[in-house]
This record gives sequence, C-alpha cells and structure tokens, in this order.
Amino acid sequence: MKERYFLLITGLLVSILAVIWMVPIYALVTTSLKTQEEVALQKYLDLPRNPQFSNFGKAFNALKIGLRNSLVISLSATFLCIFVGSLAGYALTGFNFRFATPLFFLIVVVTFLPYHVILIPITQFLKTLGLLNSYAGLILIYVVLNAPMATLITGTFFMKIPPELEEAAILDGCKPFRYYLRILVPVSLPGLISATILVFIQIYNEFLLGIALTRGPDVKPVMPFLAELKGTQIAQWHIQMAGAAITSVIPVLVFIFLGRYFISGLMAGYGKG
Amino acid sequence: MRYYKFQGFAFLIPILVIIGIFYAMIIWDVFAAFTHWQGLQPTWRFAGLYNFLRLFQMSRFWVNLRNNLLWLLLFIAPTFLTGFVLAYLITNLGRGEAILRQIFLFPMALSFIITGVLWAWMYDPSSGVINSVLKAFGFNTSKLGWIALPKTAIYCMIVAAFWQYLGFALVIYLGAIKGIPYEMVEAAKVDGASHWTVAFRIIFPNLGHATLICTTMLAITTVKVFDLVWVMTRGGPGVSTEILPYLMYRLAFDSRDLGMGAATSIVILLFSAAMVIPYSLWALNKWVRT
Repeated sequence: MKERYFLLITGLLVSILAVIWMVPIYALVTTSLKTQEEVALQKYLDLPRNPQFSNFGKAFNALKIGLRNSLVISLSATFLCIFVGSLAGYALTGFNFRFATPLFFLIVVVTFLPYHVILIPITQFLKTLGLLNSYAGLILIYVVLNAPMATLITGTFFMKIPPELEEAAILDGCKPFRYYLRILVPVSLPGLISATILVFIQIYNEFLLGIALTRGPDVKPVMPFLAELKGTQIAQWHIQMAGAAITSVIPVLVFIFLGRYFISGLMAGYGKG
Repeated sequence: MRYYKFQGFAFLIPILVIIGIFYAMIIWDVFAAFTHWQGLQPTWRFAGLYNFLRLFQMSRFWVNLRNNLLWLLLFIAPTFLTGFVLAYLITNLGRGEAILRQIFLFPMALSFIITGVLWAWMYDPSSGVINSVLKAFGFNTSKLGWIALPKTAIYCMIVAAFWQYLGFALVIYLGAIKGIPYEMVEAAKVDGASHWTVAFRIIFPNLGHATLICTTMLAITTVKVFDLVWVMTRGGPGVSTEILPYLMYRLAFDSRDLGMGAATSIVILLFSAAMVIPYSLWALNKWVRT
C-alpha cells in the first residue's frame, strides 16, 4: 500500500518536472511563430493565432551564411576526425603496442582539457600558418581538438571486437588497412555512428573559436551569427526565437532520429562502455 | 601480427601529430605567460612573474575567481544529486524511461548559445516568460530583475546550465543503476529498508564511477560556460557574471594584453588539470583492466 503511494507521488513528481523541462522549448516554438504584437501581450503559453512563418524567413536570411559555413566546416572536420580517430583507435587496440597505455593517457587528457586553455596559442598558430579567417584553418583546429575524442570513442568500441576476427583475417592474407576498411569499420558501424554524432554536434555547437578565428561573415560559423542576431534584434523575441529554432534544427533532428547512438557515444566517451 | 606492427604504427602518426600540436601549444602558452607581450607579436622577453602579479592585483580577477568557485559549488552538486534521485525514481517507476530520458537529455544536444538566447529571454524582467507567468499568478514582479541584477545574475545562469545538463547526469546514473546487482536492492527491501536508505545507503555508494564521471564532466563544463556568459550578459551587469575564461578572452583579444591573457589561461589550466588528470588516471586504469 505504502509502495503504491510512493509510485503515485513519484509518477506525479517526475511528470511535473518533465513538463517544466519542456516549457522553455514550447515557449520558444510558439513565440517564434507569433507577430510582435502578439508577443507583446506576454501570453506565452497561448498558441499563435496566425502562425507567422515569415519570422523564419527573416531569421534565416540573417543566419544563412553562417549555416552554410557551419555545414562545410563541421561536415569536413567531422569526417577527418572520425577517419584519423578510428585509425588510431584500431592501432591502439589491435597491435599490442607497449606504449599504447601511456599514449591512451595522453589522449584522454587532451580529450577533456577545455580548449579555452590554449585559445591564445591556437590563434598564433593559425596566424603563423596564414590560416586565420579561412575554412582550412577552422577545420584544422576542429580536427586537432576533436580527433582525440573520436579516438577514445572508437577505441572503446573496437575493444569489444574479439581479437580472433583480426587474427583470422590476417591469416587469410588480409592487410591491416584492408581489414580496417572492409571488416572493422562495417562490424563496428554503430560505434562509428556514435562517434560521428558526438563530434559533429560538438563542432556544430562550438562558438568561441568561431569568434576568435574569423573576421567578418565570410567563414564565420552559425553560432556567432545567432549571438549577433540576439544583439541586433533587441527585444524582437519572435525573431530571436525563430533564429534559435533554425539553428537547433540539425542537432534536434540528429537527436530525435539517432538519439540511441548519441547516448551510447556519451557512455563510451565517458568511460562507461 | 608482429609483421604488421610497422603499418599499425603508421596509423598512429596523424593522432601523434595532433596531440603533439596540442601539448606544444600548452607548453608555448606557459612560456608566453612569463614574457612581456602586449600588442601583436610575441617578444619572448622574460618577464618573470610580472603578468601574474598584475593579474592578482586586479580586483576583477578575484571577482572572476569567486564566480568560478560559485559555479563549482552551485552547479555540480545540485546537478548530479538531482540526476541521481531522478534516475532512482524513474528506475522505480519502471515505465516511461525511454521518453523521460529523451525529454531531459534533449537540451544537451543544443549549444550554450541557443540555451543562452532562450534563457536570456525567459529571464527578461519586463517581458520574459518567468515574470509573465509569475504575474499571471498574481505575484508582484517589479523587484525581480533576474539577470539584470548583479546580485542574482550568476545564479540565474547556473539554473540555465542546470536545465541543460541535468539530462547528462540522469543518463549516466540510469546506466549505472542498471549495473547494480538486483538481489542486493531486493534483499534490503525485504528487510524493510526505506527508499531513502536504499537510494542513499545502498545504491549511491556503489555508483562511485558514475559520480566521478558526473562531477568531473560538470566541473569541466564550468570552464565551457564561457559561451553562456557571453550570450546572456557579456559578463555583466558590471563584471558580476564574468568567469576566468571570459577575462582571458577580454585581456587577450580586446585589451591586446596577451601576456596577462596567457597568465589567466595558466590559472585555468591548473584548475582544469586538477580535474582532468585524476579522471584520466582512473580511465587509464579501466582501460588496462579490459
């Protein structure tokens, strides 16, 4: 009997909390579709009377260059991170190198050390290479900062593959790179997808490097654009919220359709594989 | 296998170069912190502790440091404890786990900039969601300035980050609770242990690894909330919500005082290394055992 009350109260409590967690998102979406007059009424829990899709057009116009830049940068950087990272993950787990353990330690440290610590050397490094304010520079830095995390996640997944598989393949005359490409990658595809999603979302959501390494709009990623939109459209909440909604579309779609991989990537990345 | 070791080593070269660059940058930064450097080019003239002394004389630095400590204190413990309690309750409920997990984890997929834009509006004193809802319930909101007031701004920001990161703690604990032997919990329940006892005396002490992951990752997050500070208040009102990474950015990129900026980043480095290195040793231990 007592247990039933406990479950009832728990259910109630958890549901209320879940609703509270969704309210900001609900307010974001409904406000992004209202007119300015309607927003001024401050009835934030009401649905928009006449959905204003033109808000989205306005916000999209302010963000489109950033979206393009972000897609170019995050897609290429993610691809390179996963390639470099999974090769390294294979090398670390498949060859019994004696230095694999200390190397693993060095990789974990740079995976979790916040890059804010090396922001100044990063800008100097790109300046020396002449790559400030260029796609190549941003991609290079994102690869440097995220390939260690890709190594960690893919390595964790590769460890679960029985070593007999590799031994058999090698005995059959399969060279390591061919084994990696034809057997290891297909077999551990879920792991690679997890790593890809985590790295992609991390790069797409990044802000600080976007403002520190670019001048003007040409290669600036989308998050700095969104921050600027907030600065220029002061109190134009419907436009700000439309902008926030547009920039969330990609991570939200990834989260809804590939959320399973997002979670298993989180688990692998944080040492609970 | 031995035959192919050379090829295996070749696969490691890119990552070796990458972490080489990373560590070289850290060392470079440490050197830069001990040199005179104002303006565009590094001079590499040794300055001793000059940059650090100037930094420690700024009252702004101490406000920043205090804010970083506030974040550590008020962000980490509430987030992981709520995450744990929620994970325990959801596990007991035995249904709806998948959907609840999605609801709470969802904000983790968003960036701090999106969270910041959203919450800055929610907190707006005259037209924000929070004051509007309170007004609708008949509260007097004229004194509730939220992020517009230096006294409350930082706490408001911590709440926004809490909203975003609760799902992370929840997911880590949900996974960890599943690893607890069922008999252990069942035996305690048969003995008539209360939920409080089961949760905090039996389950929680057995989730040390999950707690370590949560506290470390949340601690690192207190450095990364730079974005949130930037977009919600720009460090204001005054400097009341600035944190060290923000000060570093201002010093290095606005005042062009790169020596002092580098000195600030060394303080952040020490702070982060104190979290990351013990965690990495633990991860290493796990790696070696498997």
